[in-house]
Amino acid sequence: MSGRGHFRLLAHTADIGLEVRAPSRQELFVVAAAGFRNLIFGEVSAAEVVRRQVRVEAGNGPELLVAWLNEILCLCELGRLVPAGVEIRELTDQHLSAVISGEPFDPARHTVERSAKAVTYHQLVVEERRDGWYARVYIDL
Amino acid sequence: MSIKVQQIDACRWRIPREGAMRTDGLIFASAAMMAELRREQALEQVRNVATLPGIVGPAMAMPDIHWGYGFPIGGVAAFDADEGVVSPGGVGYDINCGVRLLRSGLTAAEVRPVLERLADALFHNVPSGVGSRRRDLKLSLAETRKVLRQGAAWAVKQGFGEGADLDHIEAGGTLPDADPELVSERALERGHDQLGTLGSGNHFLEIQQVEQIFDETAAQALGLFAGQVTVSIHTGSRGLGYQVCDDSLRTMLKASQKYGIALADRQLCCAPLASPEARDYLAAMAGAANFAFANRQLITAWVRESFEQVLGKGPGDLRLEVIYDVCHNIAKWETHEVAGQRRRLCVHRKGATRAFPPGHPETPAAYRAIGQPVLIPGDMGRYSYVLIGTAGAMHETFGSTCHGAGRVLSRHAAMKQARGHDVVGELARKGILIRAAGRATVAEEIPEAYKDVAEVVEVVEQAGLSRIVARLRPMAVIKG
Repeated sequence: MSGRGHFRLLAHTADIGLEVRAPSRQELFVVAAAGFRNLIFGEVSAAEVVRRQVRVEAGNGPELLVAWLNEILCLCELGRLVPAGVEIRELTDQHLSAVISGEPFDPARHTVERSAKAVTYHQLVVEERRDGWYARVYIDL
Repeated sequence: MSIKVQQIDACRWRIPREGAMRTDGLIFASAAMMAELRREQALEQVRNVATLPGIVGPAMAMPDIHWGYGFPIGGVAAFDADEGVVSPGGVGYDINCGVRLLRSGLTAAEVRPVLERLADALFHNVPSGVGSRRRDLKLSLAETRKVLRQGAAWAVKQGFGEGADLDHIEAGGTLPDADPELVSERALERGHDQLGTLGSGNHFLEIQQVEQIFDETAAQALGLFAGQVTVSIHTGSRGLGYQVCDDSLRTMLKASQKYGIALADRQLCCAPLASPEARDYLAAMAGAANFAFANRQLITAWVRESFEQVLGKGPGDLRLEVIYDVCHNIAKWETHEVAGQRRRLCVHRKGATRAFPPGHPETPAAYRAIGQPVLIPGDMGRYSYVLIGTAGAMHETFGSTCHGAGRVLSRHAAMKQARGHDVVGELARKGILIRAAGRATVAEEIPEAYKDVAEVVEVVEQAGLSRIVARLRPMAVIKG
């Protein structure tokens, strides 16, 4: 699960933030997914044995990132999936369709490092900067 | 950004109205707490709440205030029925996260010899940790909808507890006007197998002993005595509530635009209380709140079962009775006196507890002479407190007070501080047993991660918002 770019986790008094930088908007969404997976499962490896179609919509670009990450959260929690790869099929300001591949959660090999309640809109930033795309979201744990 | 703060007295601080603020901010804190608060963003969040339409009185924060989302944790804000708004961010994701306290007929000396077994039994019988579920409780979506409508009463009807339990729960354990049809399939799916589970993070189940009584009369009314064993349950609406909040935020982002409400932070998105969006949110929120009441009721039943198994005594000897059950993440319609007039307001409490005074009709009959019980958990290494509500709270904070200790260290900082420490061993040497589903949770929840709750309750007592009745010392803590 990789894309050009990088992410880092941000300290928050009660919870945690995720900061992402990538050369393009599409890669920003891929790297954000990788960062979010890391936040939940840590540095776990997963095989691409199942594929899930994902479609999300939102009012604008920043809110689309929140919707995207919340969708991944539900795939992990309800679908019991450990994501391994992301293929973005279509990305507009208000719409994203993608295929997420991964493997079923196996307690013998996977651990949940952090239980996320939801990705929030608090101090949400998604913007293009001189050196590429930047995003910041906070996650309620 | 620097926030202007004026000290009013030893425990009150004002953020004066300026810019887009429609009212002042009012923070209850000691000077030492305020010095800490200036380092994070919670004060800015109080100021942001003060910009919301139809806010009545100041935007308030209790002494356990810390940086949250949209609203600060520890935030209280009331809104006018006609001009005001409801904001899901002012309730939070864990709708009706709350605390329940059980008293017992047992003393610490009687329980100490079997404490290890009791902690094991509780850890086994009450699912905790990430994605925890109890295999023998599988609800259909249709049955889950009944839980959303009936709350703790559903659990009692199924044989989990007694009718008397309901008399000692905020709102009787059922918020009216819940509409399960307004709760999404996804929310039901996230919640239906999590009923009766603690979850992880700061949620816990704790066996405690009454360490000190500060108010004999109130303690007697609450059935508390020194050396007595009590049990605290801290959990909420689990995945169901998180999803209700997330679904509602999407609606409210659109509604804020539709009604022309300027937002200082997207997480404050809201809708006028008279709008269909607000009505739908409050009905879905009430459903999630009822799910949380039922959750704590089921856990209560399994606590009783565990004590019976280990101590070999019946319910009549154990006398594990509900003292009270409070919500600390909720929005409720309440009537309050404002400038001599009685007004119907929507009071948001996000990390704050209702603290109604003696004589209030919503205070259970058994406590009407003393005031509503207020349950304030501390960290797992120190103590928790039992307080009672006061007329002062009714007069100044729409009948609200603090809800806990409040974090001072981020989870990351707590993990770092815990590194190299045998946290469980150190607590065991202090006589506190820990049973936890994950080691990371224990490290994140070290006592040093929290303010000393004694300082928090001292501020609310000094401010006249509550009175301290008793201090409880942990004996065994079950963490997710």
